Amino acid sequence: MPEPGFISLPLWQLPVLVLLPVAVLVALGIGMRRFVRRRSAPGEERDWSVPPLADGAGTSPLHRWDVRCKLVTILVYSFMVVSLGRLTSALAAVAVSLLVLVIARASLAKVLMRLLAISGFVGMFFVVMPLTAPVHSGDTVVIFGGLEWLGFNLRGLQLAATIGAKAVAITLLMEPLLSTAPLPVTLHGLSRLGAPEIIGQMVLLSYRYLHVFRHEALRMSSGMQVRGFRKRTDLQTLRAVANFLGMLFVRSFERTERVFDAMRARGYRGRFPEPETTSMAAKDLVLAAVWLVAGAALVACDRICG
Amino acid sequence: MHISDGVLPLSVTIGGYAASAALAAWSAHRTHHEEMPKLAVMTAAFFVASLIHVPFGPTSVHLIIPGLTGALLGSSAFLSISLGLLLQSLLFQFGGLTALGANALMMGLPALLCGWIFQKFKGRTIVHQAVTGGVAGALGTALAAVILAVLLAAGGEDFFGVAKIALVAHVPVFIIEALVSAFTIGFLARVKPELLQPPYLRPQKAAHA
Repeated sequence: MPEPGFISLPLWQLPVLVLLPVAVLVALGIGMRRFVRRRSAPGEERDWSVPPLADGAGTSPLHRWDVRCKLVTILVYSFMVVSLGRLTSALAAVAVSLLVLVIARASLAKVLMRLLAISGFVGMFFVVMPLTAPVHSGDTVVIFGGLEWLGFNLRGLQLAATIGAKAVAITLLMEPLLSTAPLPVTLHGLSRLGAPEIIGQMVLLSYRYLHVFRHEALRMSSGMQVRGFRKRTDLQTLRAVANFLGMLFVRSFERTERVFDAMRARGYRGRFPEPETTSMAAKDLVLAAVWLVAGAALVACDRICG
Repeated sequence: MHISDGVLPLSVTIGGYAASAALAAWSAHRTHHEEMPKLAVMTAAFFVASLIHVPFGPTSVHLIIPGLTGALLGSSAFLSISLGLLLQSLLFQFGGLTALGANALMMGLPALLCGWIFQKFKGRTIVHQAVTGGVAGALGTALAAVILAVLLAAGGEDFFGVAKIALVAHVPVFIIEALVSAFTIGFLARVKPELLQPPYLRPQKAAHA
């Protein structure tokens, strides 16, 4: 049985080998954020909170793909990616996603925004896993300057990298999935696949009132600032935030009633008008089949190949 | 904290989807079908509430408020939370689409429990209601953190370290959530007490009465 291998490195290499990559990654993250900020809203105040999901009609193959095929294919493929266990196959999945991204001509700023959103959670794995993964036989542990308690388990690092690659691979597919058709069309596709129709309606309604309530919240918070409120770490701030929340709920719940009355006055009987219906053509199915076979090949390769 | 794609093993993601779909169906069954559009609009309000950041020392934490959601929406809370998480995933990538089921369990189960606890023990006075709301708020976040740790730990012993860190990172959030929930419930008890009556949305049975 092979013993865990230990590599001892002098202490001065700790900053070079560990802190430097971390610093580079953090700098990269900040750079991405700057880039997104510059691209998303030139001149005016940026709108981080509620980005629009679909921008105008595109002409890429993904825009023309039948929405039902697109949903099923990308969802099933995403679960295939989840089941991958090796770093090389996870990296191959990232390559596939990048290819799809290029074909769908997704907006770079939006894709980067999604990557930024997962960077904190995935970054935690990179920091914690090498330090905490239990040492098994066959592992390689790097120890700097005899600091035994600070052993970097390379297997943990590899595991974190696999997780990170899988997360990135799936995240990169979200823009091609969501922004290549207007949200109502995507949701209608979902309900034609058998999901209860009410789900699509509720998502649309929430999405619409999200914008309304966010503007309400912004108005309320500028009112608080004008009256001299500044956020601090104290009880007073928490009390003010709680009153703010309570007021938001009171106003929105009252609005809820009016919204529903208005919907009924316009003849709402539990259904929304349907967006245009598309028919599935052979080439839609071919594209789905090609993609899913590629995914299955990736999973098979992950299981069989070393 | 939302679980992103690629972290949970395949079995946990699919199991999470199955369990949360069943719970969401139960939650929808308990909600009168006429109230569904209203629930959707309220979900938007809770969504906006969860975007609010509270400063905490040098950093800031955003509110999760599973306890408040449960207290206000009762058994409809699970449906509302699943919907909110789906939107967060679609819009911001907070929580992966493949981990949606697991995330819904993590936030929705505490909301159901806290809603029940709040309605059971809220008492009559404003102070009593506020204290119960605070307890429900703390408990909801604590339970969400425990479920998160369990889900992460399901990945095997390599994940135990991450699970522990995730649990510890939530401790300051308990306190903030408890205080904010208590103050919010206190505010609502003074301003619009009917929102705290069980349940604000009519359950299915009451419609026939």
